[in-house]
Amino acid sequence: MRFKPYFVMGLILAFLVAFLLWPLAYVFKNSVMDKQGFTLLYLRSLFSDPAQLEAIGTSLTIAVLVTVVSLCIALPMAWVVARRSFPGRSLVSWVVMVPLILPPFVGAVGMKVLFARSGALSTLLMNLGLAGGPVDWLGTWPLLGVVVMESLHLFPVLYLNLIAAFANIDPSLEEAASNLGSSPWRVFRRVAMPLAGPGLVAGSILVFIWSFTELGTPLVFGVRHVLPVMIYDKVSEISTNPIGYAQVVLVLLVAGMGFWISKRATRGRGGVATLGRMSVAGQERPLSWRGVLLAYILIGLVVVVAVLPHLSVMMVAVSKRWFLTVLPEGFTLEFFRRAIGSELTQTALRNSLVLAVGATALDAVAGFAIAWLCVRKRLAGSDWLDTLAMIPLAVPGLVIAFGYLGCFASGPFKDTMLDPRFNPMLILAISYAIRRLPYMVRSAHAGLEQTSPVYEEAASNLGASPFRVMRRITLPLIAANLLAGGILCFAFSMLEVSDSLILAQTERFYPITKAIYTLMDQLESGTNIAAALGVWAMALLAAAMLWASSLLGKRMGQMFRAG
Amino acid sequence: MKETKTKPTTITAVDVCKRFGSVTALDRVTFDVKSGELFFLLGPSGCGKTTMLRILAGLESADSGTISFNGQDISLLPPHRRGAPMVFQNYALWPHLPVNDNVAFGLVERRIPKEEIRTRVADVLRRVGLEGLGGRMPGQLSGGQQQRVVLARALVLNPAIILLDEPLSNLDARLRNEMREEIEKLHRETDITFVYVTHDQAESLSLADRMAVMRAGRIEAIGTPVDLYHRPPGLFCADFLGESNLIDGTVAGKEVALLKVRTQIGVLLSTYSGGGALPADGSAVKCMVRPENLRRTDAQGVNSFEAGVAGLRLNGSTITVVLETGGLRMKALILSEYSPDIKPGMRARWQVDPGNTVAIAR
Repeated sequence: MRFKPYFVMGLILAFLVAFLLWPLAYVFKNSVMDKQGFTLLYLRSLFSDPAQLEAIGTSLTIAVLVTVVSLCIALPMAWVVARRSFPGRSLVSWVVMVPLILPPFVGAVGMKVLFARSGALSTLLMNLGLAGGPVDWLGTWPLLGVVVMESLHLFPVLYLNLIAAFANIDPSLEEAASNLGSSPWRVFRRVAMPLAGPGLVAGSILVFIWSFTELGTPLVFGVRHVLPVMIYDKVSEISTNPIGYAQVVLVLLVAGMGFWISKRATRGRGGVATLGRMSVAGQERPLSWRGVLLAYILIGLVVVVAVLPHLSVMMVAVSKRWFLTVLPEGFTLEFFRRAIGSELTQTALRNSLVLAVGATALDAVAGFAIAWLCVRKRLAGSDWLDTLAMIPLAVPGLVIAFGYLGCFASGPFKDTMLDPRFNPMLILAISYAIRRLPYMVRSAHAGLEQTSPVYEEAASNLGASPFRVMRRITLPLIAANLLAGGILCFAFSMLEVSDSLILAQTERFYPITKAIYTLMDQLESGTNIAAALGVWAMALLAAAMLWASSLLGKRMGQMFRAG
Repeated sequence: MKETKTKPTTITAVDVCKRFGSVTALDRVTFDVKSGELFFLLGPSGCGKTTMLRILAGLESADSGTISFNGQDISLLPPHRRGAPMVFQNYALWPHLPVNDNVAFGLVERRIPKEEIRTRVADVLRRVGLEGLGGRMPGQLSGGQQQRVVLARALVLNPAIILLDEPLSNLDARLRNEMREEIEKLHRETDITFVYVTHDQAESLSLADRMAVMRAGRIEAIGTPVDLYHRPPGLFCADFLGESNLIDGTVAGKEVALLKVRTQIGVLLSTYSGGGALPADGSAVKCMVRPENLRRTDAQGVNSFEAGVAGLRLNGSTITVVLETGGLRMKALILSEYSPDIKPGMRARWQVDPGNTVAIAR
């Protein structure tokens, strides 16, 4: 009886060690070792070479700006929605999810056209007489596109974290403060903010890490002097130039440090913010009509700006000609047809489907097993397993992909099924699975924790063997959670960027994302076809999100929460 | 598992120990249950009674000691092969299955043919008064109905043993009585061996054939309700079962089989409840007198004393009289009437039979 859980645990541990810890260790080793032995030369060169320093500085600038902009959008929105009632409030939480359905590098395709020197925005300003000639937005401020695109994509993540943090504060704590003489602003500053602090920190750091390691968006905007893109450029010389490893390690250290800070910030929360049972008496105060108006205007503005990338991608996908005009001239559905008609895209769609299904299946099994070992079996060491399974949250896809290339394209696995240069399918599926494993573990975890073990005890008491208990009781009871986790795994695997760009190196094995990236560089209407393919991807992700959230209800937000 | 022919079954637990971390949940618990008996494990919360029940079901494993059914050691048998269905305190009805499937669950595991399952489920639902509700989901049933589904789910297996974990604790007073009668009827009409866990001493006294009183992981006493109530072998039983007056005293001699105990309210002739030899003169005891055994008297007879009436409390059918004598507070129980002849502030003489005065070693 004792043997089987430990056997399962050993299998999962072996999987995580082989495909998570080993690649990370390999990257570390190669950043400080060369043929002569131990050296800090490469790590040090990151801080002595001006070009490297500039890239690090640019990456940090982008990450800080994105975090600040996201915070400026998300904080007031979350506060108003969590604490004030106004008509249409429940709609906001739905609308806010919209930016998440667009992979940012696809949005970037549209934004690039919008912000181009000859693009819609520049033309609009000229037509309105606000600008004398074409404005070269992206040429003047190269980071503008990246920061706007990533902020618009990531503010919902912060918003969901903040909403959860505010919801965890017992309203009676705020009532007590105002009862003792605090004005609403001071209640916010002295009670709500300190209590929501951990959630704020955790969410901000998640956004920071995400934007610090984002590869697709700067690549599309042609911002090449940032760490992720420089790492991407080093892929081809991985075996000869150890500087790539040093860069990866730096990214990993920043991400790991952020993750550690957010863990510390969230540790020991709860208990403090809630006094026993939440008081029901604390009704949200309704907004005054002026407040409602202000809220509508602000939220409306955010939403309009947030869907700009979506709109521009769609426009690009259907426009015959969009050059020096505000709106496209002439519409066509031809690109949609070509988006799923060419050999490149058809192969890519098929590859992505196979990969996403494989990764989801792998995650479903491993995620459920990990959650089951932690929640139900409470084996010695299962907490460690849980922590291990959460590490991918802190490990950028870039790092994993780079590590896989290092580990499996040389040494004992060279020219095997695991060698990405030989056939990247298996290793891609594994990298997708590793990256999305935390979502699955969380879903299954939540499902098991909400389901009392007494249901399983009753079944075994009435004669069901452990296997039958799992099949007849446990799995049906948490099916909704598993399905929701699976949908998210699937959707995100379909649209995984950095692993795909790095690991898939022959056209035969391109997933959708790499196909989109390749199409953009093709001259004749490549951008339009890429955008059309992006619209398909958007539709897929939107459908997946809707389905998952209808299964998960309010718990959907937890999927994007840190800590 | 296969369905086995049901036969009357005895249960034996020997030296069962269980620790959770540094907490001792069970300390050498030993008892046996005769076949067809309604056996109670009674004790305050945290005394280990539910842990003991879960060990019988195999849901928890004992650190040491053995459990046998019909003399056969089943300590290592996994729960699904014990054939001892349990009625869970919080019902544990599977929310994703309708009543029919909940009840049929164990039969499916025993590979009973579909046709037979259908008739047996219908039969058992009729038996517990839930005819026609088989298609409902558990969430659509009231608490009392849910509890009866749980009972049906166990009964449908024709088990030799049924384990009940506080089956009445989540029901209101009326449903509680209905369910209690249901269990009494089952006990009368079948030879199922019941092990019933509760913290409610009244439930235990009224239903049990025999009971084990537990405290802090140990069994304090095992016996019939009448024995344990009227001849409690220890102070814990005297105090935990019903109400009692406990009067300090010292043994001052013997009279035939009775002890003469010198107390603050005079010498009390007492029955000795412990087994074995009577305690020696001079040893310290407590005399237990149940409030309902105290009665008014005018004569200065055996075991009589005078006390002031400090107050009256109407319980309904009875009145509790609070007595005070020389700093000792006692309670007496008299039948209720509109204008009892006992008034607060008066003094009165009370008497108790030596047979109802029980000396318990301290």
